[in-house]
Parts: sequence; C-alpha cells; structure tokens
Amino acid sequence: MYSSLILLPFLSVIALNLPFRNLMKKLAFVVCLLVLLVQISLIVCPSICIWSNDLDIFGSFLQFNFAVDNLSRVMLFCIGIVLLAALFVQRYIIDDEERIFNFVNVLLLILIGMDGIVMVRDIFSLYIFLEITAVGSFILIGFNKDVDAFEAAFKYIILSVVATVLMLSSIALLLIVSGSTSFSSISDALKTSPDSLLISSAVAIFLCACFIKAGLIPFHGWLADTYSAAPAAVSVLLAGIVTKTVGAYTLIRIVNSVFGFESSINSLLLVIGIISIVIGALAALGQRDFKRMLAYSSISQVGYIILGLGCGTTLGLAGAVFHLFNHSIFKTLLFVNSAAVELETGTTDMNGLSGLSKKMPFTAMTSVVASLSAAGIPPLSGFWSKLIIIMALWMSGFYVYAVIAILASVLTLAYFLSLQRMVFFGRLKEDSANIKEAGLGLMFPALILALIIVAVGLFFPFIINTFILPAGNILGG
Amino acid sequence: MRLFWSYGLFISILCIIGFYCILVTYNLIRALVGLEILIKAATLLIIVAGYITGHEALAQSLVITLIVIEAVVITVAVGIVLGIRSHNNSLDARKIRNLKG
Repeated sequence: MYSSLILLPFLSVIALNLPFRNLMKKLAFVVCLLVLLVQISLIVCPSICIWSNDLDIFGSFLQFNFAVDNLSRVMLFCIGIVLLAALFVQRYIIDDEERIFNFVNVLLLILIGMDGIVMVRDIFSLYIFLEITAVGSFILIGFNKDVDAFEAAFKYIILSVVATVLMLSSIALLLIVSGSTSFSSISDALKTSPDSLLISSAVAIFLCACFIKAGLIPFHGWLADTYSAAPAAVSVLLAGIVTKTVGAYTLIRIVNSVFGFESSINSLLLVIGIISIVIGALAALGQRDFKRMLAYSSISQVGYIILGLGCGTTLGLAGAVFHLFNHSIFKTLLFVNSAAVELETGTTDMNGLSGLSKKMPFTAMTSVVASLSAAGIPPLSGFWSKLIIIMALWMSGFYVYAVIAILASVLTLAYFLSLQRMVFFGRLKEDSANIKEAGLGLMFPALILALIIVAVGLFFPFIINTFILPAGNILGG
Repeated sequence: MRLFWSYGLFISILCIIGFYCILVTYNLIRALVGLEILIKAATLLIIVAGYITGHEALAQSLVITLIVIEAVVITVAVGIVLGIRSHNNSLDARKIRNLKG
C-alpha cells in the first residue's frame, strides 16, 4: 500500500513531462495538490477502500524494502503538510505558469526522496533517497537565479557532498562487518561482533554525516545562509521538513534500529544537542534578519530533538519525535509569515520593519502563536514536547542537561519576543502606508498550521496516547 | 584483513588529497574536482569492502548506482557554478562573500 507513496509522485512527474505540455502546465499545480492530499489522507485514514492491497502489484516492481511504522507515519504526515504549505506560498508569490510547472516537478522529486527516506529499511537505499532530496534542494535554492542563493547553494553542495562521502565510507565499513546493507542484518552483526576500531569509526563517521545534514552546531555553516538566501517557498520547504528528514529523522532511525543505544553514542548525542541548543539560541539573539534568526532558532530546536534522542529511553524517543513534528509545524508557519512580510515590505531586515501588526493583523497573530509554541508556553504544542524531553532527561539522571535545556528555553522566548517586538509591535513607520495584509493564498496555510498547533496543544492527552507514545514504543511495528 | 589496510592506506591518501583540494583552492571548479576525488575514494572503499567479504556482486551494483547519482550531483553543482559565473564573471570564491553572520 505504502509503495504507492513513491509511485504516485513518480508517475505524476512522468505524466507532467509527456506530450501535451501546454495542457500539463495548467494542470501542474492541481496534480501536485492532489498527490499531497492523497498522501495526507492515506496517513490520516489508512482504511479508505481505494487503497486496497491490489496496488501492491505496482509495488512489486520496486526493489526496495519498504516498511512503515508509527514514526514513519508521523513523518509522512509532516511531509504532506509542509509541502502543501510550500506549494501554496510559491503559487501565491509567483503567478507564472512556466515557473510553477518547474517548481512542481522538482517538488515532486523531493517528495519521492523524502517519502523514500522515511520508508526504506536499507542503508544504501537510504543514501539514494537522501541524494534525491539533496539534489532537488540544490535546484530549488537557486530557483530565482539570485546570486546570494547561488552562493548558499554552493556551500550546501560542498558540505552535503562531504556528508555523503562520510556516509558512503561508513556504509563500506559496515559492509565489511556485516556483509549486507539492510538495517536488520547490520544491527545483528553489530550486536554479535566484538568491539573494534572498524565498528566504532563506522558509527562515528555515520553520526558525523547526519550531524552535517541536520546542521547541528559544529557543522552549521551552511544552514543559516541557505535558509536566508533561498526563495521564500523554498525556505519553508527546507526549514520545515527537508533538513529535519535528512538529518534528524535519519539520525533517529539509524541510532534506533541499527546502532542501538550505547552509552558512548548517547553521550555524544547529548553533548552535541546541548551545544546546539545553547549556541543556536545565543546566535539567534544577535541576528537582525528575520529569516536568519529563524534559521538559528531551527538549529537550537533540532538540538532539543537530538537531546531527546540522546536519553536513550522510550520517553525520550517519544519526546524527540513529538518535537520533530511540532518543530516542522511551527517553523513552517513562521517561514510562511516571513514570506508574507518579505512580499509586502520587500525586506527581511528587522531594523527596517516595525509595527506591522496594525497593517497585517492576521500574520502577526499566527506568528505569535508559532513563536509561543516554539518557546514552550502552555498550552501550545511546543510546551508538551519540551516537557516530555526534559522529563525524560530528568528520569534518566541527566540533571545538568535538563536544567540547561530549561534555561535555554528562556533564551528561545527572549529571541522570539525580540523578533515580535521589532517586526510586528511598536510604532508603524511613516512610509509604510501602502502595506497591506497578505492575500488568501498565504493566509490559508498559515491558518491551517496555527490551528494544528493550538489543536495539538489542547488535545494533548488524546494525541500522546494515540500517536506519540506508540511512536516511541513500537518502532518495529 | 592485511589486504584491507594496504588498500586503506591508498584510500586515505586519496581522501587527504580531496580535502586538501577543497580547503586550499579558491577556484569553484577545482573545489568540485576535490569533491570528485573524495567520492572516488569512497567508491574504492566500497569495492574493497565487497572484495574482502566476498560480496563482489553486491558491491558492483552499489558502485554503479553510486556513479549515476554522483554524476547527477556534480552536474547540478556545475550548473550552480555556471550561475555564479554569469553573475560575477569569475570563478573566484573570494568574490562571493555576501552571506555572513
């Protein structure tokens, strides 16, 4: 059933590029919308009858080991939502048929890549899908042919290829140890074979590659540039889901189902996580560019995810997955808001912005919801995930890390409040008479995302038992 | 295993050359050449791994897939370099320093 999540976008790309291109250019937006809606509806109600097992005939053509557990379902849902938001933003900002067509094609490729990352159970297929996603992102960052965007894309390419090389070397070393590339056999081989330099270097190299892909602190050089120089819709896409899937999700999956939680891996994750949280938050405080501040905030929030993973307990894992979900929702919302601000005022420099809440009340309101959720204010969704992570740290006995994580949460609140004060509150500038609220095309995704944040926060008792704890618990099922 | 370490020496020399190339040069195309050398080192490592463990067929299929993907990545990267060149009229990395902070 789930192999159709790969096949459907793949067939749509082929169909879009066959003859009748002029017709297809008109249809491209609708096709992509339908594919994403199918993905979301498949995750939300898996029992719809049209998804009967007959589709597995197509799945048998694919030579990948696909498996879907609760963690994958959470990720597939996020992917659908964030790509939908990015599609709407691009549609609203650029009204040119040709460019929408190009964007949709690359977006569908990225969708294939990310769906694949989430579903594969084989380390080499994981690499293939990571590269598909990365190549799509390179193209989209340079989509507007802007010189800054090219610079950012080049930095991203260099670091991404270095991460790839590290990952391939690790795959080769694991091949020597286990003689296979599937998750289960590597995991078995690592359990039975004695500790050696080969194994520990393979594990370290792979973790390092994941840290580069996730943009964690010693390797964060490309992330802020990429997010701030990319076109608005692409920032939504990258910040919302791409770096989370290729970095954080891969890390969670690999540590959980291949390497296993050992004390050395756990302490590495904890240290990298806490450094990312603190330095990311401090760097965000000093930024004067809307999108750059959000980028550093992203580093800091991914730090929380890694910290939750580093606990090595079921609760910590559940917290990490929940924070991954929350983070992709609220960061997408914030980047949609930054797209609205950029479109209406022509700048993302916070020194040139002030008092926009009088002109753009809806954007201001949704960004307050997202910021408070990110800062962990109850009852919004971000509060609960941070609470779970900190509880998991405390219960595992990492008291120092728990205290630092709480204090860094105050830093998060500080930079988001300063962002709100500089951009949306305060006195309106004189020359901003013709700024108006962004149109429906931007308000609709923002509204949906804000509703998800509030709803997940309010219905937390239901959500935690239905989705989040199972995601930490039954990762195999 | 002794075979592995002798190949391993050569692979690590390739890796050092690749990293040195990326770190030292200011020319964007040369940086891509450095990346290619790095990927070649990884490719060689996979072949050696397959040879030692007796999984030559598996290693071959992995390497062929890898070569295809690497070609795609480098093509896109060269496209980006062309874009930079059309803006700056040079390939010097010292001239692209707009983003910082």
